Amino acid sequence: MFEKLMNIDRRIVFTLVALVVIIPMLAPFSIPLTVAEPTQNLYDYIDALPPGSTIMISFDYGPSSFVEPEPMAEAVMKHCFDKEVNVIGITLEIQAVPLADKVMQRVAVEKGAVYGEDYVLLGYRPGDTFVILGMGAEIASVFDSDYLEKPITEIPMLQNITNYDQISLLLVLAAGSTVEDWITYGHTKFDLQIAAGVTGVIVSQMYPYLQTKQLIGLMPGFRGAAEYEKLIDAFGSGTKGINTASLVHLLVIGLVVIGNIAFFVQRRREE
Amino acid sequence: MKQQVPLVLCFLFGIVMILTEFSPHAASQATYKEIANWGRVISPFVLALAVITLIQTHWARIQRRTEHWQYSVVVFFGMILMVVVGTPLVIVGSPFGPQHPAFQWLFNNVQVPMDATMFSLLAFFIASAAYRAFRARTFEATLLLVTAVIVMLGNVPIGDIIWGDTASNARQWILDNPNLSARRGIILGISLGAISQSIRIILGIERSYLGGGD
Repeated sequence: MFEKLMNIDRRIVFTLVALVVIIPMLAPFSIPLTVAEPTQNLYDYIDALPPGSTIMISFDYGPSSFVEPEPMAEAVMKHCFDKEVNVIGITLEIQAVPLADKVMQRVAVEKGAVYGEDYVLLGYRPGDTFVILGMGAEIASVFDSDYLEKPITEIPMLQNITNYDQISLLLVLAAGSTVEDWITYGHTKFDLQIAAGVTGVIVSQMYPYLQTKQLIGLMPGFRGAAEYEKLIDAFGSGTKGINTASLVHLLVIGLVVIGNIAFFVQRRREE
Repeated sequence: MKQQVPLVLCFLFGIVMILTEFSPHAASQATYKEIANWGRVISPFVLALAVITLIQTHWARIQRRTEHWQYSVVVFFGMILMVVVGTPLVIVGSPFGPQHPAFQWLFNNVQVPMDATMFSLLAFFIASAAYRAFRARTFEATLLLVTAVIVMLGNVPIGDIIWGDTASNARQWILDNPNLSARRGIILGISLGAISQSIRIILGIERSYLGGGD
C-alpha cells in the first residue's frame, strides 16, 4: 500500500490541485488575515501624502503573471484616488501597457478619476536602466507623449512635474528583476522613494532592501494584495486569490507529509 | 580594425561614464545625459535583433522540417497578425494600431489567457514534483523540507489559524535572518563579479562580446 502511495499517479495530484483551485471560486469563503509590517508601512506612507501629491507606478509584469500584481495596483490606486493623490503609470515591460491601461481605467471609472487630471499612463519605452536614468534628469526626455501619443505638455497633471523630485513615491509592481534596477538607479542616484509589490516567487529576494530601507514597503504576492485590500476595506481579487492559495498550500504540505510517511514506512520495511 | 574600433569605443565610453559619476560639474553631467540618451536610442535595436533572431531560428526549422516544425508556422502566423493589427501605418491607410479593438481583442482573449495558462501549469507540476521529490532522505533535505513547510504555512492566512502567530513569526524570522544573509551574500558576490567583469571589458581583457576568440 505504501509503495503504491509513493508512486501515486500524477494525474491524481493534478486533479486534487484543480479541485482546490476551483472549489473556492464556486463557494467563496473568508479567512481572517493579519496585516504584515511591510504592507502596513506602504499604506501608512501613501496615507500620509498630502492631496495633490503624485506617485508613479511601474507596471513591470506581463500576461503570464498579472494575476498577483494587478490586485495590488487596483488597491493602491483606489487608496490614492480616495486621498486625491495623482498616479502616473509607466512600464519597463512592453506587454504590460494594455494590462496597465485596463486596470487604470477600471479603477478610474469606479472612483470617478479623470484621465490627465488624476492619472495618466505614459506607456513603454525600451532601454530599462536608461529609461530610469533618463527620467531622473527629465521625464519629458524619455516620454514626450503618453501612450495615446498625446504630448505631455498638453496633460494638466504633468505641468509641474519635471523629474523624480516631484514624485513622492515609486511603486514597482514586478514579476522580474526590475525592482533591483529601480533601487540601483532610481533610489541610489536620485533618492527616489521606492516600494514594491512582487509575485510570490521573488518575495525572498526583496528582504535585504527592506532591511536597508531602500524599499519603504512591500506587498508580497497575493498576501500583500489581500492585506492592502483589508487596509482600505475593499475586498477584491487579492483576497479571493489568497484564500485559494491557502488551500493549495495546505494541499502541497499534505502531499509532502503523506509522501514522507510512505517513504519512511517503506524504508523501515526494507531494512 | 574590426576588433580595435569596438575596443577603443568600449574603453572611451566606459571611462567617461565612470568619471561622470564622480564629477557634479555641468559639462560632466551634460555628457552623462547625452550618452544616456544615446543608450536609449540603441535600445530599440535590441528588440529588432530579437525579432531577426526569432525569424532566422523558426525559418530554419521550417526549411529543415525539424520535429514540430508546424509550430514555427504558427509563430509566423501569430507574429505577422499582431504586427498587422498592432501597427498604426497611417501612410498606407491601415486603420489598425494598439488601440484598435482587433488588437485589444487578440491581446485580451488570446495572448493573456495563453500566457496565464502556461504559467498556471506550474502549480500542477510543483505539487506533483513536491510530492515525489521532497523526501527527508538526508539532514540537509530535512532542513530544507521543514523550512519550506514553515514558510508555506506562514505565507497564507490559514497558517495562522492552524498554528496561531507562530507560523507568521517563524516565517518572518527565516526570511529576516537565514534568507536575508544568504541573499546579501549572493548580491555582494554578483556585484563584485560584475565590477571585475566590467573592468576586464573596459580594459579590453575580456573580449568574448566581440564574437568569441581573441
